[in-house]
Amino acid sequence: MTAASAIGPSHLPVPVPALAAPVRQRLDRNDILMRAMLCTVALCLTVAVLLPLWALLSKSFQASDGTFVGLSNFRAYAGHAGLAGSIWNSLWIAVLSTLICVLLAFVYAYGITRTRMPGRAVFRMIAQIPLLAPSLLPAISLVYLFGNQGLAKGLLFGQSIYGPIGIVMGEVFWTFPHALIIITTALSISDARLYEASEALRATGWRTFRTVTLPGARYGLISATFVVFTLVITDFGVPKVIGGQFNVLATDIYKQVVGQQNFQMGAVVGLILLLPAVLAFLVDRRMQQRQSALLSIRAVPHAPKPDRRTDLVFLVVCLVMALAILTVILVAFLASVATFWPYNLVPTFKNYDFDMMDGGGWGSYYNSLTMAALTSLIGTSVIFFGAYLVEKTPRFQRMRGLVQFLALLPLAVPGLVLGLGYIFFFNSPANPLNVLYGTMAILVICTISHFYSVAHLTAVTALKQIDPEFETVSASLRVPFYRTFFRVTLPVCLPAILDIAIYLFVNAMTTVSAVVFLYSPDTTLAAVAVLNMDDAGDVAPAAAMAMMIFLTTAAVRFLYLGLTRGILARSQAWRAR
Amino acid sequence: MAAAPPAEPYLVIRNVTKEFGSYRALDNISLDIEAGDFVSFLGPSGCGKTTLLRAISGLDVQTTGTIRQAGRDISNLPVSQRDFGIVFQSYALFPNLSIRGNVAYGLVSTGRPRAETDRRVKELLDLVGLADQIDKYPAQLSGGQQQRVALARALALSPGLLLLDEPLSALDARVRARLRGEIRDLQTRLGITTIMVTHDQEEALTMSDRIVVMSKGRIEQVGTPDEIYARPATPFVADFVGRMNFLKGRLAATAQIEVQGAVFQIAEPMPFAPGTEVTVCIRPEDVVVRQIDGSTLNAVDVQVGVMEFIGNHFATSLHVTGTSLGFSADLSMNDVRDLGIAPGIAIRASLPPDRLRVFASPPV
Repeated sequence: MTAASAIGPSHLPVPVPALAAPVRQRLDRNDILMRAMLCTVALCLTVAVLLPLWALLSKSFQASDGTFVGLSNFRAYAGHAGLAGSIWNSLWIAVLSTLICVLLAFVYAYGITRTRMPGRAVFRMIAQIPLLAPSLLPAISLVYLFGNQGLAKGLLFGQSIYGPIGIVMGEVFWTFPHALIIITTALSISDARLYEASEALRATGWRTFRTVTLPGARYGLISATFVVFTLVITDFGVPKVIGGQFNVLATDIYKQVVGQQNFQMGAVVGLILLLPAVLAFLVDRRMQQRQSALLSIRAVPHAPKPDRRTDLVFLVVCLVMALAILTVILVAFLASVATFWPYNLVPTFKNYDFDMMDGGGWGSYYNSLTMAALTSLIGTSVIFFGAYLVEKTPRFQRMRGLVQFLALLPLAVPGLVLGLGYIFFFNSPANPLNVLYGTMAILVICTISHFYSVAHLTAVTALKQIDPEFETVSASLRVPFYRTFFRVTLPVCLPAILDIAIYLFVNAMTTVSAVVFLYSPDTTLAAVAVLNMDDAGDVAPAAAMAMMIFLTTAAVRFLYLGLTRGILARSQAWRAR
Repeated sequence: MAAAPPAEPYLVIRNVTKEFGSYRALDNISLDIEAGDFVSFLGPSGCGKTTLLRAISGLDVQTTGTIRQAGRDISNLPVSQRDFGIVFQSYALFPNLSIRGNVAYGLVSTGRPRAETDRRVKELLDLVGLADQIDKYPAQLSGGQQQRVALARALALSPGLLLLDEPLSALDARVRARLRGEIRDLQTRLGITTIMVTHDQEEALTMSDRIVVMSKGRIEQVGTPDEIYARPATPFVADFVGRMNFLKGRLAATAQIEVQGAVFQIAEPMPFAPGTEVTVCIRPEDVVVRQIDGSTLNAVDVQVGVMEFIGNHFATSLHVTGTSLGFSADLSMNDVRDLGIAPGIAIRASLPPDRLRVFASPPV
């Protein structure tokens, strides 16, 4: 052993660099390949998200002939009493809907997570129903329930459902599952030790609720508030169907662009709509980070104890809400299969004879299926692989940061605004990509972009959960990264990948907002057909088409459930101990 | 004797510095590692030991400096072009592949025949004693077994260098102690140059040929386990490895120190002027209480203070009579029984000169 030569200049002529030049690690084929692909993802996102937004922004400063006019469009907007009034309308509608929705969702989530009432799993499932239909569906249902010939018209005491009341009811229904998911998550990560401490100190139930439960869920509540607020203020389906003469920002964009072909004013309204969405996005990101920091590793999950009185109260309250959700769906279904709701209830399928109506007929349904399948397939591949590259490309921090930013950007962009940006960008004669305009491809690209962020975050979460050293081990064994990607990363992340695929499929089936500006006579979509049939007064066929969408997404969901219990359970045998 | 020029050490690290922004994680590290040695990087968290390992592996290359492995400059090579196998604290076994799939992972892409791969996998699993677990999945094995699979996988391509990043930290104490011996035994049999990062001194002391003690991005000492323990080069090493009494004193003469009223001889003269402030170190187990007579050096009268029963010895505090000096001593059960030592009684104790370590700096 040569302990003497342990340290310091060796007795050997080992070259020492004259100057301490920084070491730049050479790239191997893996690195180059990954970087090239990451750059490709960045390029795709730039084209699909950033440039359309830029087009929208610049359009708002231009006259209709394309000359720069500064803020004059904004001045014209401010001077237009009807348009500016929509800001106020949008704001208070959104605030009111958000308050009601978050309150109801909190009670419901509390029932599911913190009581021992029976049927919690069923309640959880029922609450997901609104996600499976376009926001047009609850609005149509509400018209059937409370409209001029509505069953329960009397409950409104002479008020009209067409306007604020209808919008708020529809939005609460439609945004309920979004709020519920966030609040349920916040309530389920709780530390039992705090509850035991509180009980040991003989605090009353109410005091425990105020000092332990609420503070623990506060980030979730704030996050849910902002998410719901954004969804409501940017939603277009509900106010379009049930808003009547009551104007909000989202319907203004549609009217300006589709009705009056005033693209500049559409761009201005779009930018205004972008503001609350961006603000909500920033607040939400911040809250999410704090929420995850709240739970220490040593926290013990809290298991609620049975309490007959509490359980009964929550059972009743949740039952009422669940029934309300089921009623909305049921009414739409019954109206779609009745000869003439509510006067002639003889069952018929004539409302499903879409080829006899405006809106694209059954063709639009098949278009939607194609679009959703393509979006799901291509979107899942691109998004998951993109997330993989962002997480696993060695070094290259700037580009990874850029892609991460571009991937999260769509979360802050309302669908209508994105769709409008697509018109400006892809319909420009100067853009070689304008061949895409009016094709199925642009619908798929737009829909993937629209729902990119949530899917990306799901993928990133899954990727972060697997051991960061897999890539290191592979590199030391000289195995190329794509082999590890296909042999290890992909199988391990399969559940998350299926989640993403389902999420994209369901949203592609139900979305209206972005694609409403982009479809052509050959590429009409089911959700857009619902809108157009309702617009043309064919309300029952609109309900029928909405039901078709609902049934399709529900069927896919069930298929997925079966898949996870069957094939997935077998291929993932290694998970079991 | 010095006819043929000696071969260059297997791993030669020169002036390696790693900066994260303004934070300097490695500060001008130079180190030689001989072929076939088992070397531990030992230090508290944040000392730079893992950073150094990551520089050697190419996972995080150094900011400046060179690293040569087997005569080849690897300073700026990508991970895939270096020659090492690595085992992590988390094992990083692929959960969806069987043990066979895991161990064969690197072999498959070398394009060798299937039969040969199979034979090599069996051979490797025999080596770590897990041949009967070949078709199980990682989650079906215990932590210790998983770590052995990770070891087999790292050795599959017969790398020249084995890197172990806190390999035993995730295991419980009993398994850890057993695996220490198994890994060391395997390493000796294969003769593979091995670097292990650890914060556990016991691990480093029992397994290594040489230990590199690090602190704040610098190397404090390099030596055999015995050297590190018996002759710590700096107060940091003295404090970090084993337990140590730190006593403040002054140099009275070149080979004599005065510690809070007591005077002791030291074995090696100090190259400082009398009056220099020094720190005197002695390990509790080096304090002698038996067979002390007039000729015993550094013998003092002490009063026994608190006695803490540890199991195989008593951690005892002793106060030198007539001074303010106190230190702790590990007294064996025999000492305590034979000499009738109990709290409050007076005995004689000696601090052998060759056991005293004296540093000119204040203690860490």
